[in-house]
Amino acid sequence: MLHKRISQFLIIYFLGLGLLLAIKYCFGLSDYVIPGFIDIQNTAAAVAVGYLRAVLDTLGVAVIGHLLAIALATVVAIVGRPDNLLGTMIKTAAYNLQAYPIVAVAPIIFILLGDGLPSRLLIAAIICYFPLLLSFIGILGEPVASIEHFYVMTGRMRWQLEVKIRAFENMHKLITVVTGSATLAMVGTIVAEFIGADSGIGYSLRIALYQSDMAKVLVALFLIGVFNSLYLVALELLGLVIQKKMGVEQRIQQ
Amino acid sequence: MNCTPTRLVFLLCLSFLVPLLFGCQQRGEEPGQELSYRLKWLYNINTAGDLYALEHGFFTSRNLRVVVKPGGPERDAIRELELGRAQFGVASADQVIRALAKGSPIVVIAQLFQQNPLQWIYRSGGAAYASPLELRGKTVGITYGGNDETIMHALLAKYQIAPSEVNLFSVRYDYAPFYLGEVDLWPIYRNAEGIVIAEKMAQAGEETGFFAPDLFDVRFVANSVVTTRKMVEEQPDLVRKFRDALLNGWQEALAPANAARTIALVHAHDQVTTEETIAKQLAATRQLMLPENGRMGSIDVVAWQQTEKIMLEQGVIDSPVAIEKALLTDGL
Repeated sequence: MLHKRISQFLIIYFLGLGLLLAIKYCFGLSDYVIPGFIDIQNTAAAVAVGYLRAVLDTLGVAVIGHLLAIALATVVAIVGRPDNLLGTMIKTAAYNLQAYPIVAVAPIIFILLGDGLPSRLLIAAIICYFPLLLSFIGILGEPVASIEHFYVMTGRMRWQLEVKIRAFENMHKLITVVTGSATLAMVGTIVAEFIGADSGIGYSLRIALYQSDMAKVLVALFLIGVFNSLYLVALELLGLVIQKKMGVEQRIQQ
Repeated sequence: MNCTPTRLVFLLCLSFLVPLLFGCQQRGEEPGQELSYRLKWLYNINTAGDLYALEHGFFTSRNLRVVVKPGGPERDAIRELELGRAQFGVASADQVIRALAKGSPIVVIAQLFQQNPLQWIYRSGGAAYASPLELRGKTVGITYGGNDETIMHALLAKYQIAPSEVNLFSVRYDYAPFYLGEVDLWPIYRNAEGIVIAEKMAQAGEETGFFAPDLFDVRFVANSVVTTRKMVEEQPDLVRKFRDALLNGWQEALAPANAARTIALVHAHDQVTTEETIAKQLAATRQLMLPENGRMGSIDVVAWQQTEKIMLEQGVIDSPVAIEKALLTDGL
């Protein structure tokens, strides 16, 4: 799984880089427009350690922001799950709020919370929260009639049991959604750092763009891609472990 | 038709590549063709002369068809020159020197600002900074990676002020830390937002001043007009005509007699800024752009060499670029 994810990323990255270099040499562009291979290599050697620390910093914030978003989406989805007034209101609010571009809201967050960790965390969480919430509401709001019917008829159905049944029956969907939103958490953190923070790889990218240094940008993109792939692999492995432990896979196979 | 995934991927790649390659093709720079002039920033007071030259027929009277395009944070005139998407552009000196260090074939044909508008605003209380040594213990805003960081570090080094003796504050898009008094000096463009902020502070009963590194012998060149070396070598007449038209436009735009027309023109393109503010901005721009002796657009070779030296000492570039070779100081 790890090998597959990393190799997929490397193929895409080097195809993109190859295309850029082909354009550079075809049209005789300088290193200022598209850096040459040697320039990228030298830049990588110069900034690799600093950028590695910055990416790990970003990844750390993204993971915490992702966990916060998952926790919040779970709670709100449970509350908004029933087909009553509250549930409908939560669903409507979620659909409407997710339409707001976070880059427009981010400056307000930075003014209110400053340019430290809380702002980065909040923006990362917000960016991946809404897609998670909509999926969670969809999954937890969908009755599993074949199982729930028995408990409803015998009067033993409680909301905790309902949530457990629906989560268990849709575990593979939940894991896919959580894994898919991991990239959004990473993107959210980078956007936050780009806009206003003073650390992380998004901040380094902003400085590189100020300096019109495309070689630094390419090095940063490489590291972001590698670590994002690693995070996705970690989540997929965790998902497999959970599914095995709960016997979900056997049930699906049956 | 049997459309396999491989074919689909191939077609998708082709649909991306074809426009990309056509976009990168160097357009033939023939006389009479439409010339694209990419500005450094959005339309504001710093583009007054460019707009004036366009709107008052300075280009057309020389048989030039010019399209003036606004710049912005993601626009880079030098890249567009190399990619053939523009024939002339405005770039800051640090952009020019960085580009030369990376082998970009560009030439400076005119220097717009004779004094750098990038300065620091501060609460003066009626007193001005007599020496950079007074910065010791102050909180100074800088944009990490920006020009102001390079200039401030050069100033501190020149006056042997250790970086630890000054509190450097990472500047953001909002001015709240300055308004709240958390930062003593805040980097601004003296003739643009500098006027707006000074007005706001005055309304709040606070006097402000501007700290200009130029006054303390740290001369870092700002915006200049650039083109490609190929253009200068192959079509010197066209370059000369463009430069003359543009500089005449600037000269007229800054002339006090034409102030009302210039203000109205800038306001038409930048409606957020009031005409009263633009009038003040215009007066400040005049002081920064018009040289005491010499003509509009004069290239100050010594200042360019100092800019290169500063960038070299700050490690922004790895080796000298011999900037004087990229400055078109003589006639074409």
